[in-house]
Amino acid sequence: MSRSLSPLSVPYRVLQRGGGIAIAFVFAMSGGFELPGVGPAGPWLLFAVAGVAVLALVGYEAAYVRRFSYELGEDTLDIESGVLSRRSREIPLRRIQNVDISRNVLQRLFGIAVVSFETAGGGDTEARLRFVSFEEAKRLQTRLGRLKRSDADSASDDRDDENADDARSGTDDGTAPADRPVGSTGRRFDAPPVTELFALDRTELALVGALSIDFRVPGVLFLIVSTISSTLIPTYLSSASGIALVVAAAVVLIGVALLSWVVGAAAAVAQYYDFRLVRSGDELQYERGLLQRYDGSIPFDKIQTLTVSENPLKRYFGYATLLIETAGYAPGSGGSSRGSEAAVPLAERDRVLALIEELEPVGEVEFRRPPKRARRRYLVRYLLVVGILTGVAYAIDAFVSLPFPAWSPVLLAPLAVWFAHATWTHRGHWLGDHHVVTRNGVLRRQTKIVPYYRIQTVIDARTVFQRRLGLATVTVDTAGSLSVGGQDAAAVDISAARADELRDELEARLDSAVEAYRAGRAGIGVDDAHDPAATGDDPAETGGTRQQGDPADADPFDPDAADRDRSAD
Amino acid sequence: MNRLHPRIRLLWMGRAVITAAVLAGVSAVAVRFVAPPWVPTLTPAAVFVGFAALGIVLAVLRYRVWRFEVREDSLYLERGVFTRVRTVVPFVRIQHVDTSRSPIERAIGLASTVVYTAGSRGADVSVPGLGQGEADDLRERLKRLAIRSESEDAV
Repeated sequence: MSRSLSPLSVPYRVLQRGGGIAIAFVFAMSGGFELPGVGPAGPWLLFAVAGVAVLALVGYEAAYVRRFSYELGEDTLDIESGVLSRRSREIPLRRIQNVDISRNVLQRLFGIAVVSFETAGGGDTEARLRFVSFEEAKRLQTRLGRLKRSDADSASDDRDDENADDARSGTDDGTAPADRPVGSTGRRFDAPPVTELFALDRTELALVGALSIDFRVPGVLFLIVSTISSTLIPTYLSSASGIALVVAAAVVLIGVALLSWVVGAAAAVAQYYDFRLVRSGDELQYERGLLQRYDGSIPFDKIQTLTVSENPLKRYFGYATLLIETAGYAPGSGGSSRGSEAAVPLAERDRVLALIEELEPVGEVEFRRPPKRARRRYLVRYLLVVGILTGVAYAIDAFVSLPFPAWSPVLLAPLAVWFAHATWTHRGHWLGDHHVVTRNGVLRRQTKIVPYYRIQTVIDARTVFQRRLGLATVTVDTAGSLSVGGQDAAAVDISAARADELRDELEARLDSAVEAYRAGRAGIGVDDAHDPAATGDDPAETGGTRQQGDPADADPFDPDAADRDRSAD
Repeated sequence: MNRLHPRIRLLWMGRAVITAAVLAGVSAVAVRFVAPPWVPTLTPAAVFVGFAALGIVLAVLRYRVWRFEVREDSLYLERGVFTRVRTVVPFVRIQHVDTSRSPIERAIGLASTVVYTAGSRGADVSVPGLGQGEADDLRERLKRLAIRSESEDAV
């Protein structure tokens, strides 16, 4: 049965689109200009034009909402849309990476939401429903999660649903406040039990806010000030004394810094307010936001990479940032937060590690460092930087006399030595049972966890200098959306022999991970791989998560789907 | 290990010569109109000879280094004069395979096979300089292997 958008989306869409027109209209009215050749009837004509425009807008939006229909089938999501040019799409459910729901304040008032479906292909969000009621959005989200899960016995799905509901309704209120949207509205549809994996506590939220500075504020301020008061300031400047100028400059500087900080903090707090990650069946769901509420789901088996990012300060105080990557988001689209909507902005390291253990049980990681000769390489590199700085200082000194002696950059040499050592100690790679883990960087240390199953290609690159020392860099390419910026997991400067070994090893392990996946034993190859007996029997224990077998084989509804996928054979 | 078709060197050399000619043209224009007195008039010629020679040497070296192999479960490539790059593309991860022939490639009877994965560096994997039949064979072979080892869930 195909469904249509919420009727409330007509007024919202009209408001959204009409806002700009209304402002233009008010501007034109208050300006009081007269149209040439119209004379005193001008304002009335303007009213008439505006009225027609509003009517046309309402008509168009009503038609859009009316002609928009979607249907969540057993294995595709069908969307028909378009007023003048019609478009119909079929999106295979298995290809959907994440489902995101977002609502701003006004939308929450109306009780509507935007639902975005992301697939790996293409540069943009694959499909967007603007707007459906929030209940419908949650229904889509949970239903999609359920359809993608290869429940062998789907006939009992509804019954399980009821049972799970009854069983859970008691406990649920205990774990989640009743006023939570998921708790109240999601319950009706949630078949799998919801367990909370992570929630940002108040200290962490405060820290996130405190550490966020919006660097765009100074630019915007400068723009405003320079346009509004370009005529005012010079007159003041000429009449003020030197000291007053310095004080004024300091005050302005501090003010701008403070404002940037406040704005950044407010934005960060609004963005991450009430952030929590829950596991619902085999999906990871996140919620966050104060004004604009985001609510999305990521199937566990679509997780491409986990990245733990820390700088020295965070390391010292025991905090870390976690990024969860899927292939869903187009790189660079919609700002930096995209690509890892479910990023944990800042949390105690232990909690991040515990969360990782939930998402991708890696176990104890023992990094293998690059050989010692790699450290020599870094030493040469950083000393070279010091040398170049010194050279530049001397060159500048030849033209204008510097306030410090030209050789002073040499004092940085010990720092270079320390940095070379630190670079070396922070590098490492490790092969686990199911994951390859790499770590790089001192000032921004990134630990990447890639399930073998997610490896796309393995690239072994050796520059001239690396070859001289018998070193190599092995990069593990994934489909993750952040890896486009050259941030792939990489074992940097390992010995050439180890690189050869690693190439073959990674390939072999990908193969066995794929084997395991096909055999229906393990999702991305996790906890139950050594214990095949644990899979079939007890969905409660595995949370129904890691049993994702071959979906085509297990799909009870559509034998054709399986055939279609296999037909190339 | 397979090597590329020897004629690919011609293509690369031709490309290097064209690049050198363009650079020489630019420098000729610069010399003609800007004409700082310290620039000798032979600069364009020197630029041409220098870049062309460099390009030709690189083309020969590149050809010597380039290797590829269709292994049991993966495609293996080895290339790069300065930075030696070895790429392993597991068949499970191949999304699709293309054969492409630019006009110049057609003129000397060559073709390239491009292998796409879902990885962010997917388009990097291309095997240039194959005989025409060879390229189609490679494509078909890779296609068959990729289908045989098809993974349900590449991404």
